Amino acid sequence: MNPTQIVKIARREYLARVRNRAFIAMTVLVPVFLGLYFFTVPFLARSGTRPLRLAVIDAGTGLGRPLADRLRAIERPPITVTEVVTVSATDTATRERLGAAVRARTLDGYVVAEPKRPSSGGGSPSPAARYVARETGNPTLMRDLQLAVRAAALEGMLDGTGVDVDAVRKTQLLTLDSVTLSDRGERAGGFITAFLSTLILGMLLYLAVLINGQGMATAIVEEKSSRLIEVILGAVTATEFMAGKILGVLGSGLTQLAIWIAVSLIPLFQASSFALPEAAAGVDLSAVLSARLLFYFAVFFLLGYLLYSVLFAIVAVTCTSTEELGQSMMAAVLPMVVALMAAMNVIGNPGTTATRVLSLIPFFSPLVMLARINVLMPPLWEVWLSVAILIASSAAAGWIAAKIFRYALLMTGKRPTLPELMRVVRAA
Amino acid sequence: MATSAALVCRQLIKVFEGTRAVDGLDLTVPSGAIFGLLGPNGSGKTTTIRTSLGLYRPDGGSVEILSSRDPLAVRHRTGYLPEERGLYAKMKVREQLAFLASIRGLSLAESDRRAGVWLERVGLAAREQSLTRELSKGMQQKVQFAAAVIHDPELVVLDEPFSGLDPVNSRLLKELIFEQRARGTTVILSTHRMEEVETLCEFICLLNQGRPVLNGRMKDIKAAYGRNTIAVEYAGAAGRLDGLPGVHVCDDSGRQARLRLEPGADAQRVMRAVFDRVDVDSVRLDEPRIEDIYLEKVGAPRTHTTPAAQETGA
Repeated sequence: MNPTQIVKIARREYLARVRNRAFIAMTVLVPVFLGLYFFTVPFLARSGTRPLRLAVIDAGTGLGRPLADRLRAIERPPITVTEVVTVSATDTATRERLGAAVRARTLDGYVVAEPKRPSSGGGSPSPAARYVARETGNPTLMRDLQLAVRAAALEGMLDGTGVDVDAVRKTQLLTLDSVTLSDRGERAGGFITAFLSTLILGMLLYLAVLINGQGMATAIVEEKSSRLIEVILGAVTATEFMAGKILGVLGSGLTQLAIWIAVSLIPLFQASSFALPEAAAGVDLSAVLSARLLFYFAVFFLLGYLLYSVLFAIVAVTCTSTEELGQSMMAAVLPMVVALMAAMNVIGNPGTTATRVLSLIPFFSPLVMLARINVLMPPLWEVWLSVAILIASSAAAGWIAAKIFRYALLMTGKRPTLPELMRVVRAA
Repeated sequence: MATSAALVCRQLIKVFEGTRAVDGLDLTVPSGAIFGLLGPNGSGKTTTIRTSLGLYRPDGGSVEILSSRDPLAVRHRTGYLPEERGLYAKMKVREQLAFLASIRGLSLAESDRRAGVWLERVGLAAREQSLTRELSKGMQQKVQFAAAVIHDPELVVLDEPFSGLDPVNSRLLKELIFEQRARGTTVILSTHRMEEVETLCEFICLLNQGRPVLNGRMKDIKAAYGRNTIAVEYAGAAGRLDGLPGVHVCDDSGRQARLRLEPGADAQRVMRAVFDRVDVDSVRLDEPRIEDIYLEKVGAPRTHTTPAAQETGA
């Protein structure tokens, strides 16, 4: 093998990859979408802070006053109760009047508290509430309104019994926090955080492999079908050619990874100045992007990416046209899809035997092990065993690929069959 | 015959799925010559070329190219224009040519410089920043030819270099091939265009079913056939010259016919017979063209006994 030749092939492949439109688009779009998620969601939630003018209709439930008090207690957005109207249960005139006001934008909405008869007929009616407004899409506001209605109903029920309404309310707001415990300490956060961060990291690997690997595979088929390969093979060996291809596509993948990591580090270092409203986003960003996770992500990204690139190269070299490649790519992509699903499953069951086994099997381990590290740090020996297996299997795949390349690069009329390929690989 | 050989194949055998594509081929290409490798489709020309250049490993026999047993060891000194060809569709023309030069051992800077020079020479300087797919087929072919010779190889193999070229570009290509020979490059030319063979090649090898049926210096091969052909131009439909006594191959395309004489036939008598049959525009006694020999050797089933093929090479 002549390193100079490999570098020349790699250089061309690298430039072809990074100049590819799909590459540029994904390299830019992925951080943009992630950024949109992390930054705009909280801002969107905060943007619903325009003061609201609401009316309250008490249709025979007696909840009008307490409900108005609770609504005024909501901090964001500040709510002005314009009027509290007490009407009979069958009244419609008031609703029509307020509805017209909402349509005319002199009122933002109104809340009706009315008795609701059980559908089965018997039994006493229970209070029900309805919010009528032009905008009902803000989930935070809807939750606050619901809490206000419940609190008012509770207050009405307990009125005069001497029970402390606020104490009862506090027990109702009780939440269940989760803490993930592992050999290496504990971490608050739990399912949602782990799920989202694993999904995001998994998707990054998936996208990188797909964009770059597919590009390389298409290039190989192009070289084969255009017979350009004959000219190239007059100058470089099949092994040098393959090594150059893998190296070039590795380079483009690392470029992409570097850009993504650099972009994701910006919020990590600037988290305080941005003052991320983590609760509003539902995700603690610093937990998602811990330095340790980024390190392992880089390691497993690199190895997983390498292994899948070799796999894509093998698939590509056995195809004679882009149509064939399209069908065969499914076979190469499938393990990754399975791995991604398995990784999602790991989050719920990080310690099971099945998970531990999956995190050692080459094509699954990059994503599954990453998920394990993310949720519950496994023993270090398992992590590095997984890394060692990945390296060994990448080397083995490269060795097999070299043999198949020598055999299949000049085959243009028909595809080599699987038994043929096995024979080629077995032959020394 | 002391000149060194650029390529020597000895008892070369290449088998594909039980069929011998090349079947015990002995071939010597003298250094500095333009060598025509001829033969019908499927006769083993491309396989011979690929095996010689190290794209295939021979199943028997040996190849010695530029005095080396390992084609890859001399890959920076050989150039190749394959028959079915393509380029990276989405690569810029100059960049592409420079890449192809660089894998033949030139530095990146030198590759780029020569790419510029060669695009100028083949009249594509204005298109150097175009994407390759925006070029016409003929233009792409000129780029590919440039890629085959840009690194000043000692041996260049051109497989059907003329296909798809218009007369102007054919002439340009011919000039470029002569220019290669002038600077001492050995040129192996595989083509079906007999008129190009006629004007370009000093040596030819005619393959049929993986074996050489003719092999040697063109002049000698023609001389061995003697002036045994009568060329006729006439008015009228084809077929009226069939079955003339003393003629064993009649290649009659209507208005033009070439009659190959049986050994010992009387040319004057045959010519008189021609005058009896058709309105003659012209008639002359001629050397066989390479096309005549080709057709006689591998073409028409009409072929009877042939004069002993002259093995003048080596």
